[in-house]
Amino acid sequence: MKTIKFLAIALLFVGFISCNNDDDATPELLPVNSETISNLHAPQNGGQGQPVSGAFAKFNFATGETTTSDTEWDIAFRGTSIIVNGGTSLGTTDEPERTGNAAVYIANGSMSSITEVATEHLMQDSATSYAIATGSGNGWYTYAGPPSHVINPTPGKILVIRTHDGKYAKVEILSYYKDAPANPDAFVDESRYFTFNFVYQPNDNVTNF
Amino acid sequence: MSLNKNNILLVFWVLVSSYINAQNNQNIKKDSITVELLEDVIITATRTKRQLSSLPLPASIVLKKDLEAINAVRLSDILNEQSGLITVPDFGGGEGIQMQGLDAAYTLILIDGVPLIGRSAGTLDLDRITVGNIKQIEIIKGASSSLYGNEALGGVINIITETPKYGINGSLQQRTASFETYDTRADIGYKNDQFSISGFINRYSSGGYDLNNNSVGNTVEPFENYTISSKATYHFSDKTDVFFSGRFFTQQQDYIASESLQGESDINEWNMHSKLTHTFNDKWESSLEFYVTNYRASEFLDDTSNNTRFSEATFNQTMIRPEFRTVYKASEKTSYIAGIGYTYETLDRTYFNEKPQFKAPYVYAQYDGNPLERLNVIIGARFDNHNVYASQFSPKLALRYEISPKLAVKGAVGYGFKAPDFRQLYFNFTNATVGYTVVGYDVVSEVIAQLAAEGQIANQVVPVSTFSSELKPESSLAINIGFDYQPTKTLSLQANLFRNSIDNLIDTRVIANKTNGQNVFSYTNVHEVYTQGVEFSTTWKIIKNLQFSAGYQLLFAKDKAAEKAFDNEQVFARENPSAPSFQLESSDYFGLFNRSRHMANGKLFLHIPKWNINTNIRAVYRSKYGIADSNGNGYLDHYDNFVSGYTIWDLAINKTMYKHYTFGFGIDNLFGFTDAQNISNIAGRIIYGNLTIQF
Repeated sequence: MKTIKFLAIALLFVGFISCNNDDDATPELLPVNSETISNLHAPQNGGQGQPVSGAFAKFNFATGETTTSDTEWDIAFRGTSIIVNGGTSLGTTDEPERTGNAAVYIANGSMSSITEVATEHLMQDSATSYAIATGSGNGWYTYAGPPSHVINPTPGKILVIRTHDGKYAKVEILSYYKDAPANPDAFVDESRYFTFNFVYQPNDNVTNF
Repeated sequence: MSLNKNNILLVFWVLVSSYINAQNNQNIKKDSITVELLEDVIITATRTKRQLSSLPLPASIVLKKDLEAINAVRLSDILNEQSGLITVPDFGGGEGIQMQGLDAAYTLILIDGVPLIGRSAGTLDLDRITVGNIKQIEIIKGASSSLYGNEALGGVINIITETPKYGINGSLQQRTASFETYDTRADIGYKNDQFSISGFINRYSSGGYDLNNNSVGNTVEPFENYTISSKATYHFSDKTDVFFSGRFFTQQQDYIASESLQGESDINEWNMHSKLTHTFNDKWESSLEFYVTNYRASEFLDDTSNNTRFSEATFNQTMIRPEFRTVYKASEKTSYIAGIGYTYETLDRTYFNEKPQFKAPYVYAQYDGNPLERLNVIIGARFDNHNVYASQFSPKLALRYEISPKLAVKGAVGYGFKAPDFRQLYFNFTNATVGYTVVGYDVVSEVIAQLAAEGQIANQVVPVSTFSSELKPESSLAINIGFDYQPTKTLSLQANLFRNSIDNLIDTRVIANKTNGQNVFSYTNVHEVYTQGVEFSTTWKIIKNLQFSAGYQLLFAKDKAAEKAFDNEQVFARENPSAPSFQLESSDYFGLFNRSRHMANGKLFLHIPKWNINTNIRAVYRSKYGIADSNGNGYLDHYDNFVSGYTIWDLAINKTMYKHYTFGFGIDNLFGFTDAQNISNIAGRIIYGNLTIQF
């Protein structure tokens, strides 16, 4: 399920009001898009010590949808791994080639407190590691271990993303389980279903949200 | 070494021995009509016999009669009821002790003054130790490395075993309890003026219990163990004594990992302890001690689907320790003690590439005296050399000032340390099913090179060169300040403020990412934590045969780095796992895992002489605590899930008939409290019956 909200920002409003001023060079800014994506399915084969394989579920922030395009994607999901369309492939089975200029870093904060992109922190995937580190506590999630074995997104981790075509977005992952149950049970709820909030800044060279 | 439970005999003994202590004179009151608190003698605190009540350190004693009154079977049963102590479950179903908020790995456990070994994961399982042949248990809180060296960071628990009385005597006891638990013990002893010998045998078995019917196997699998021990003393002359003791423990327990993976885990442990003591004159006494112990644990799992051996692991640790010490009694109240010794330790373990050895010579000295009439001072220090980690110097100062015969203030400052154990230095373990690797600090370069050669390393997070410096021992500065107040002969009150500041706490961290998506972990000195709080305890003899005692501990146990992270607004949480994050305040930080802010106990003991009945009711309370960071921010905060606080009630009644027969009945955990999800070491209500025959 997908809920879409459009937020009109003040600048846009100013843009409308200032329409009377002929020949004003200020371009009209597009509205920042804020959405919740639910149940993005990111299956994986192997793992737990075995070689990992399976197609990544690719996502495009401009459309707010998953895609099968080889080039028009920003981030992609497989199990707990999240890759960006920028840099070099780690070379795992079924891992897509990077064709864009996407990059990412993880900021400490909440969706409302992260308002500016610190572009110097942006990193791309490399032949040795993903920009979003894998493993519990290293990247976006924490694995509780026995007895619950639950994987929950680590609180206060905001993924700040440059898209494949140089725009910016911020993402907070909310759940790894189908239908984002308030208290997931790793033995009952189906995993590898991402629910996340994102804010997309569609305007070129604008680094705030 | 002889410590009699009977106070009058004790005082008599103290008088005739060469350790005449003038302070004891005031306690010779044979009149049994007046009701008063008894005086106990403790040896662990100073390594000389000291009256418990005059000691400048926070210490307590559990006597044999206390063990008998509550029908204790294993060491964990009794320690859990002491103020400020709590048994906490370990991974393998065993139990360790938490003292002043410090983990089980930081309390040294001694039997007759020499250490028990076998901490395969850091904790020494207290269920291993039967209380059947125990004379008394001495508990010293606060860092005590000035006398005991390694591991005495949080405190020391010394188990003093029984020595026989004159003539031939012995006892037999059979106990049957819920969960198919049986305890059988027999002891026999003989003593004359020159010679004493005693033997003890105990069999303890349980059908185990299962708190969670959905999981494979039981919470605690069925087990059976035996303890056999023997002790002999020979009095060559008035001046020379020799002591020899041996102890053997063996246990077999089912080991069930899953439906198809089943096996067994075994423990075999033995120790031999001998001591030659010579008294030169009224002032000088020396003893030469030799101790050797071995702990061997082995386990295996068979894959029942194809009848093959799935895994095998062994842990085989040996410790040898000779020690020579001399006591100089300068005056009635002044003594000096000095000792020199050598500890040799080795461990042969699956997942070790080598068989490492620890060699640690040490010296210590201590002054115990009264520079002023009312001021007792203990100053001591110990130096431990070591072939692997940095040498340690552990000083201690303790003072007690008697303001009046009823009121005394006391304070102690001490240093304690715990050396990195073999596992933290030499482990090389890869989990077969998940794929992560744990590497000891000293073998990092070797193991990483090997993994890299096999193409298993994706990314080195911490450079290997970091591990060229030594892993430092964990160390603690402990401060205890308190008072003893005895307003009347029937009432005593003790209070103690404590703070333990621990540096270089060893924790694991990720040092490399593996190509299989898992990590390589190793150990590092990172954290600085502190535990602080206050303890109260009181004993009140309400009437002649009715005694009430109670204890309370308030505890704050926190990580300094965590406090800083909260102060710097770097910690976030969610209302539930799928809600957006928000920032936490400093006051939201709860502290370390598995620490309750409040712990309390209350006990009422009633003796009915007319019917020869002893009965008691006891309650132990601990407030809520966290066992996991349920919201994933790395810290225990008020938005995490907590284990609810609880109270356990125990009831015991013992009746002695025809002088030699004692029938016991009781219910432990009267209201059948369990928390299947969080507390694995509380089985539920235990109903038991005992029969003891003494001869």
